[in-house]
Amino acid sequence: MSRKEKIAAMRAQDTQRAARKRNLAVTLTVIGVFAVVLAAIVLINRAPVAESGGGPQAVRADSHRLQTAPDGKVTLVEFLDFECEGCAAHYPVVEQLRKDYAGKVTFVVRYFPIASHFNAERAARAVEAAAQQGKFEAMYQRMFERQPEWGEKRVPADQTFRGYAQDLGLDVAAWEKAYRDPATLKRVTKDAEEGQALGVEGTPTFFLNGTKIQPQSADEFKALIDAALKR
Amino acid sequence: MPHSSAEAPFPRLLPWLLLSGGAIGLLASFVLSVEKIALLKNPGYVPSCSLNPVLSCGSIMRTWQAELFGFPNPLLGVAAFAVVTTVGAALLAGASLPRWFWYGLQTGVSLGFVLVHWLIYQSLYEIGALCPYCMVVWAVTAVLFWYVTLHNLRRSGYHTVPIVLWFLAVVTLILVRFWSYWSTLL
Repeated sequence: MSRKEKIAAMRAQDTQRAARKRNLAVTLTVIGVFAVVLAAIVLINRAPVAESGGGPQAVRADSHRLQTAPDGKVTLVEFLDFECEGCAAHYPVVEQLRKDYAGKVTFVVRYFPIASHFNAERAARAVEAAAQQGKFEAMYQRMFERQPEWGEKRVPADQTFRGYAQDLGLDVAAWEKAYRDPATLKRVTKDAEEGQALGVEGTPTFFLNGTKIQPQSADEFKALIDAALKR
Repeated sequence: MPHSSAEAPFPRLLPWLLLSGGAIGLLASFVLSVEKIALLKNPGYVPSCSLNPVLSCGSIMRTWQAELFGFPNPLLGVAAFAVVTTVGAALLAGASLPRWFWYGLQTGVSLGFVLVHWLIYQSLYEIGALCPYCMVVWAVTAVLFWYVTLHNLRRSGYHTVPIVLWFLAVVTLILVRFWSYWSTLL
């Protein structure tokens, strides 16, 4: 290689290095700007959430969602007791609403077993144990559909619930373990306590976007949801 | 030689990108295929990537979009990413590939990149859920497309800027789309 060629090669290398540096600088700037903008948006959005974070909330991150609306605009929360007849009566209404508002409304269920119902807490634990295997919805439906079979009996329904777990194809041993686990009961009472703090007195109690509603009919229900969707 | 390596950009980077990108895509596609089979065997199966309401491949794998051509999409990935991996390995071994071969690879990554955009759209706006393994495939396909294209166009310059912008755009779409969920996690 002649001297001239060597110099040319070195120059080419220098330009390449400079180009690489420029590329890196611009790329990092782009990422930096994005991160700053994102952080700013998050901080602005966070402020009001942080204020209400201490108080009771109708929905928590770990609350069970029957279905989720991608836009998250409207959320219907039901505090329920699987042994309560009123809840069983509302069950078909809610199922229909879920069909009518699929993709538009998020449906959340929270436990609120009432002490005077003999198997209510057991049922909530049975559903929570199923939820741990990803079968919240199936067990929730089973409980209401078969409520006449086990409700109001005043004898432990453990066997019946184990049968449901089996029918639904759950890992029964794991289900049984979760059913007996104090952590499962704690999860149930956590919902109920927050419900009490929110002013839930009986079941079912519905919250639409955090506000307690008392619809007297399916049509009233729909009107309230439609109004919330339009807002 | 029609395809002089001296003028092509990224002579060292591209083979490694093809090898590692292909391998990552292959792994993700393979896992998705296995999960799909598990789901077929047991309809109640909860895939390993169903983590929360948004990150939920179980709900995505049950849609028609997951079988765009009448069979599970990840099967395409298993075949295509294996080819990409092999090309990367061949280049690392010193192979010099003719122009038509590069154009074939270009066709493949371009079709893949188009398909990825359709999948992103469906995932975000039609299905309303994300599947982590699928997102790995999106990311890998975008990078592979970009660098194969730059190679064939003989361009370098600010090469990472457009691809980074693409990633940030997708991240932004995901953040905006599921903001109500992300904000509950803050």
